Amino acid sequence: MWNKIINWLEVRVGLGNFIQTQVIEYRIPKNINLFYTLGFLAVIAYGVQAVTGIVLLIYYIPHPDHAFRSVQDIMTKVPYGWLFRQMHTVGSNLMITVVILHMITVFMMGNYKRPRELTWLGGGLSLLITVMFGLSGYLLPWTQLSYWATTVVTSMPTALPLIGEPIARILRGGDSVTQITLSRFFAFHVAVLPPLFLALMGVHLFLINRIGISATPFGMQDEERRPLTEYKRKTHPDGYSYYPLFFQKQMFMVMAYFSVMFVIITFVPTLFFPDEANMPADPNHTPADIQPAWYLLPPYQLLRLVPNKFLGITLQLVLVLVFLSWPFLDSHPEKNVLKRPILRGVFIFLLVMWLVLLSWGRI
Amino acid sequence: MMRYLFCMAAAALFLVPSAGVAGYREEFEKGFLTKPWAGEQVEENLCISCHASDTMKPDFQSIVEAWQASWHAQNRISCEHCHGGDPKDAALSMSRQRGFVGVPSSETVPEFCGKCHIGILSNFLESGHGKALKMSRKAPNCITCHGSHNIQKASINIINEQLCSKCHSYERAKTMKQALFLTEKRITELEQALLNLKRQGFYAEADEKALFSTQAEFRTLFHTVDVDLVKEKTGVVSANLDKIEQNVRAAVWELGFRRNFSAFLLLMFAGMGAGIFLLSWKKGD
Amino acid sequence: MKRRRFLKIAIAFLGSVTLLSFIYALVKFLSALPSRIAEANRLTIRKSDIPSGEAKNFVYQNAPAVIINRPDKGFIALTRTCTHLGCLVEYHHVKQRMMCPCHAGSFDLEGNVMSGPPPKSLTSIPFRIEGENIVIG
Repeated sequence: MWNKIINWLEVRVGLGNFIQTQVIEYRIPKNINLFYTLGFLAVIAYGVQAVTGIVLLIYYIPHPDHAFRSVQDIMTKVPYGWLFRQMHTVGSNLMITVVILHMITVFMMGNYKRPRELTWLGGGLSLLITVMFGLSGYLLPWTQLSYWATTVVTSMPTALPLIGEPIARILRGGDSVTQITLSRFFAFHVAVLPPLFLALMGVHLFLINRIGISATPFGMQDEERRPLTEYKRKTHPDGYSYYPLFFQKQMFMVMAYFSVMFVIITFVPTLFFPDEANMPADPNHTPADIQPAWYLLPPYQLLRLVPNKFLGITLQLVLVLVFLSWPFLDSHPEKNVLKRPILRGVFIFLLVMWLVLLSWGRI
Repeated sequence: MMRYLFCMAAAALFLVPSAGVAGYREEFEKGFLTKPWAGEQVEENLCISCHASDTMKPDFQSIVEAWQASWHAQNRISCEHCHGGDPKDAALSMSRQRGFVGVPSSETVPEFCGKCHIGILSNFLESGHGKALKMSRKAPNCITCHGSHNIQKASINIINEQLCSKCHSYERAKTMKQALFLTEKRITELEQALLNLKRQGFYAEADEKALFSTQAEFRTLFHTVDVDLVKEKTGVVSANLDKIEQNVRAAVWELGFRRNFSAFLLLMFAGMGAGIFLLSWKKGD
Repeated sequence: MKRRRFLKIAIAFLGSVTLLSFIYALVKFLSALPSRIAEANRLTIRKSDIPSGEAKNFVYQNAPAVIINRPDKGFIALTRTCTHLGCLVEYHHVKQRMMCPCHAGSFDLEGNVMSGPPPKSLTSIPFRIEGENIVIG
């Protein structure tokens, strides 16, 4: 009976053939490591955010008079509302962490090099969109923490002369954070950013499939002659088959992701909820020590440190541009970062600086 | 080679204008760094800016400090809420037109504070203390026990031997304190319990409000200094507190259930992870 | 191969249990019907608790409110937040008014502004009389 259904589908969809060629016969490099699963993990993390977000959408009310109350009700009165809200909050922080780790490991393995520059660009833009998701979502519970952290972050563009004020005003929909800000952040978070993200993901994944998985440069000699000058799909005829080996690795990482999420939800559920996160927003009263979310602390701290503010913000814009266009700027044929001490040194230095700024910003 | 030239040109494009707008720093600091969330609170209250300045007598200067440490200050009750006047307009800051009343005389202090604390005012005026105040000046008014500017959250320890035996023996005050003690203790414990619940994500707002209003009613009652009345009403207050305590216990149970449920899910995911790991473990791999 | 089979079954079992738990949570989440949440917010007061001329304070949707038993016109429920700057108005039994202590705003027992700075009247809160009880919300 079951076989009859499968057969019916097979004739009309060719699913079996598809699975056979794309999944079972898909070959991945022999020296693949666990870091290669991070991309898939990021997509799963996004899926968790999307599903829990839609669930929360059922009870959330995006107006300042009701937002805080509706989130309270979700946490207290709606059965298992706490579960979905906690998953969404913890998940947002975990997703940003995973995306950053994915970016770091791709960089360290030199997998951004020709012909994969566009893949890197798509990924970099996805990171920016993920941070924008975090920024817009942060305001939605309309707590003291949300309101004032958003006030701080939306004021950062004012460091740019002439165009800074208009940019900040467009972001906020006014001179301060109001109901207009909440509405537009909500629209962005729920309706604008998701399709944008999914479109970028589509392009990113298509390119990965089209060009083929790149082998790690560690240990095994990469037999590609660099630089490449014509399109050639990278295959691994003597590699492992994707299913079951790599699929298992990916599933393991997904389970690890959920385990970390639920360790946090079980043992430190208040990790992302300081006292200000439990108070309704009060535009007339600023709590002491307000600061943006952790992933925005390094730019914030940099802005506070650099004496010339215009320089401070342009330095950051320049860094972001360099980061996005790095594959176009780095033409060295050597993929193995272990054989490029200067690049390694600079990269580790920047990473350490990023962490230093993060901790400094917390004070 | 071209690449490096391109990078240098881009850097110059961004950096050279920075030197040109170096003067923008002052403007930016005014707009950005003086905001409350950038570190400095901007005081706009003229009462405070005058009375805290060095041209004032030290007595007046100390008033501002005392107020800043008070519970009133934390709840954004400032000078004009009690003394009247206009805190934004220097000319009218101490004008009768804006309701300025200055320093109240000792027998009008209850009405001064009773502008907002209405229930307490009526209870106080009915009490022995209130009647004595209206007849002679030798009686306590609000300031005697609560202070004038550094007013803290009311606590049962305001009733103490040092304060109460100024006019009569401490015996009566002691009886009153005993009558209040247990209920006050319960209220404080419930306050703490509700705060803990809120921190863990359980917003018992209705109970918080009920507790606050029960506490307010109870404390208002004290001002009659009528021990029998207090004992009589303690029953009603206790019943309210019982209800709140019940809700708190239910909330604590619910939080425990949540922890267990997410621990269960954690075990499921960890178990699957372990299983997949074992599955991928080939012998001699 | 026995080990592998056992592990596969175990993982499938755990996976189904997890999925079912989430589906269960989701179903309960979706069946928190508005009436169940409203019930938690509903307030019932006995008519006999408020003698004629007296008033009782309560909390409605997180805002302080008062229900007054007017001698001539029966019960009315009003918000206590003064429309001027948000202080709490008090019911004055003798004057039969709602008075605001902050800037001497005064409202009648319908909530209309009688004197002082308040720009708008107090909002009245709907309620039902069900037998011996007043039900709000």
